[in-house]
Amino acid sequence: MSEETRKILEMLHEGKIGVEEAEKLLAAVSAPNAPTESPVAATGSKRYLRVQVDPEEGTVGDRVNIRVPMKLIRAGLKLAAFLPRDAQSQVNDALREKGMDLDLSKLTPQDLEELVANLDDLTVNVEGKQKVRIYSE
Amino acid sequence: MIPLLMRIDIRGEGRPRGVRLFFPVILAWIVVLALLLAALPFVLVAALATIRRGPGVRLLQLYPALLAVLFSLSGFRVDIASHRDDRVFVSFD
Repeated sequence: MSEETRKILEMLHEGKIGVEEAEKLLAAVSAPNAPTESPVAATGSKRYLRVQVDPEEGTVGDRVNIRVPMKLIRAGLKLAAFLPRDAQSQVNDALREKGMDLDLSKLTPQDLEELVANLDDLTVNVEGKQKVRIYSE
Repeated sequence: MIPLLMRIDIRGEGRPRGVRLFFPVILAWIVVLALLLAALPFVLVAALATIRRGPGVRLLQLYPALLAVLFSLSGFRVDIASHRDDRVFVSFD
């Protein structure tokens, strides 16, 4: 057993990481010489975008679990191109008001692939009450 | 693959059994596809009439875009549950 494997198992035993994370780490450690895939190519294997909202431990709150197929996001992006320009500018203005300086008409499928490739696992803690987890699988 | 079944589960306060529905959504797709086919001649005429100015070819491109959305709905799932045991669950399988 290698040193890395032992450390991962220790972290799992101590509860520092979950079973899923341990699996990922073990897979990464067991294939160190595997050819590195480009992030964009890696999205091919990702089928779903998951959004999970859970209350923090010890708090009471609502739970949200959304699974969106990647294909649907790509198809939706193509469909967004058919929005009239007026509607697109209204959406862009609304996004800008919320602090997102994003032009929908310039969003390409490649942008989406890059975003998903880099969005491996993102967890946001909202005011210590809710935990929002966004990841692809 | 096109989704064949839509599952809806809605539960609320005072209605613990709620509404559980398995809807063969394939029936809805048949109607939608029939409507799309029926509208095709009009869309073709509209596309030809506006080919120089206006939507033109983009009207025709709308068909594959709509079908792509339809065919990629499979696997879509939304599950929202409140701490008071209210629940809304919708999935396409």
